[in-house]
Amino acid sequence: MADLTGPDEGSLDGGRVGAPRRTLPRVAVALRDVSMVYPNGRRALSEVDLVVPEGAFVFLVGPSGAGKSTLIRLLVRDELATQGEVYVAGHEVSRLAGRDVPRLRRQIGIVFQDFKLLPRKTVRENVAFALEVTGAARSHIGPAVDRALALVGIAAQASQRPSQLSGGEQQRTAIARAMVHDPKVIIADEPTGNLDPLISWEIIQLLLRINAMGTTVLMATHNADVVTALRKRVVALEDGVVVRDEVGGYHRDH
Amino acid sequence: MIHFLVFSVRRAAEGLWRNRVMSLAATVTMALMLVLLASLVILLSGLQAGLELVESKVEIRAELHEGVPQERVDALREQVAALPEVESVAYVSKDEALAQFRAQLGEGQEDLTEVVGSNPLPAQLVVKLKDPREFGSVRGTLQEPLGVVSRVVEQQSNVDRLVSITGLLRTVGIIVIALVGLTVLLVVVNSIRMALMSRADEIEIMRLVGASDAFVRWPFIFEGLLVGLLGAVITLALLSLAAGPIAQLATAIAGQVPIGFGDRLSSQVTAVVLAAGLGLGGFGAWLSVRTYLRR
Repeated sequence: MADLTGPDEGSLDGGRVGAPRRTLPRVAVALRDVSMVYPNGRRALSEVDLVVPEGAFVFLVGPSGAGKSTLIRLLVRDELATQGEVYVAGHEVSRLAGRDVPRLRRQIGIVFQDFKLLPRKTVRENVAFALEVTGAARSHIGPAVDRALALVGIAAQASQRPSQLSGGEQQRTAIARAMVHDPKVIIADEPTGNLDPLISWEIIQLLLRINAMGTTVLMATHNADVVTALRKRVVALEDGVVVRDEVGGYHRDH
Repeated sequence: MIHFLVFSVRRAAEGLWRNRVMSLAATVTMALMLVLLASLVILLSGLQAGLELVESKVEIRAELHEGVPQERVDALREQVAALPEVESVAYVSKDEALAQFRAQLGEGQEDLTEVVGSNPLPAQLVVKLKDPREFGSVRGTLQEPLGVVSRVVEQQSNVDRLVSITGLLRTVGIIVIALVGLTVLLVVVNSIRMALMSRADEIEIMRLVGASDAFVRWPFIFEGLLVGLLGAVITLALLSLAAGPIAQLATAIAGQVPIGFGDRLSSQVTAVVLAAGLGLGGFGAWLSVRTYLRR
């Protein structure tokens, strides 16, 4: 397991920028023998093994109730696994103390189906908020927000409120917020679930671009068209078990 | 650290404004309680001053029979002076007693002593005690030799009454303040809970993007502190407006008793009011945050 945690030293805060790439393949996300049983006795995950190298783009698919959301909750440490080890961005999440959770969260970006934007704040304020509440210097916040807004292509709407935006624009704002910390991993839970097909494609294109710039992307989705068309790595869950892990389409290729 | 403070205070002020009605209710009840507290402090310190003044004047007067030989008087005086609870014993002759009496009557009063013709006042032994409430065997000693002391006059009962009034007022006051304080605490807890609920979405996002616990919690603690501070400022403003009339009233009632807004008293009241306001506000907010924001 040393190769999972080892390379992280000294790179906790933005150390990636300008740091020489190691030749050793680094791991963004890893699960080993992970099981999750909720207090009510429901078994959501059974002995899941998964390794996502840094820079990868992985789809997480499966029917509702297959365990996708549970897996994501374990990755961001909303829940603790009942068994097994979970590593994300160099943190052993399965053993992370409550007070260390903020350090983990600052190194991952999380995107949701329902955007979770603050309705009273403008686009710019929504994105800046993520930096303000982590104690970033004001001189750092402005440029970082500008960069994130430009990256997702929402700079023109920066002073509008979420209610004035289309669904696609809202999701772009949410992605800008997830990216403003310059995270190592983006975890997206059904990011196109509320969007029509055309807009969904735009969001996928955006995530692909972010991935091409070096950020690992893990995306849970039901969108079969997108998954099948892109021929990326697909991890399929069913009843809490990984039933397929290969490059291919939404359904098993025949 | 500076970012943190600016962020927290700004958010606290924002929150206070956002929940204006609840904040106002909390601030007003806070001010009411603090006014009550300040009044109690002022009243008690006034009574205490009065008590000290009265106590400093407490003495036991032993009126002597006419024509007692001076040696017997002197012997008794020495005997009383030797008692451990006695500070001093003074002999007041008939003439001195008359002079004191006339002085006490003051100007303008008709002097009835002229009418009587002879001096009706007895010679006296005036005993000052070390502690006005400890008069031990002084009375017994004074009355022991036959035919010397005709009457022992004490002012003890006045002191006892004042002491018990002060004590009662203190007890009642503390109970009332404690009850009102509890109410204020609950109002603050409630007010901060409303603030927390109105920011539930922000708190969720803050945790999502990795805000440390301090950034999540402290703005609400600051909000409670602000309620306390506002209540204290309102209270102190009211008190400084009322200071003149109160001082006049106190002088009218107590006369020579030095009640009033001396520098010492007003700085003491300011400190008590500020500490109580900030303490209650901060503690109430802390309780609210603690119960609402469990990880």
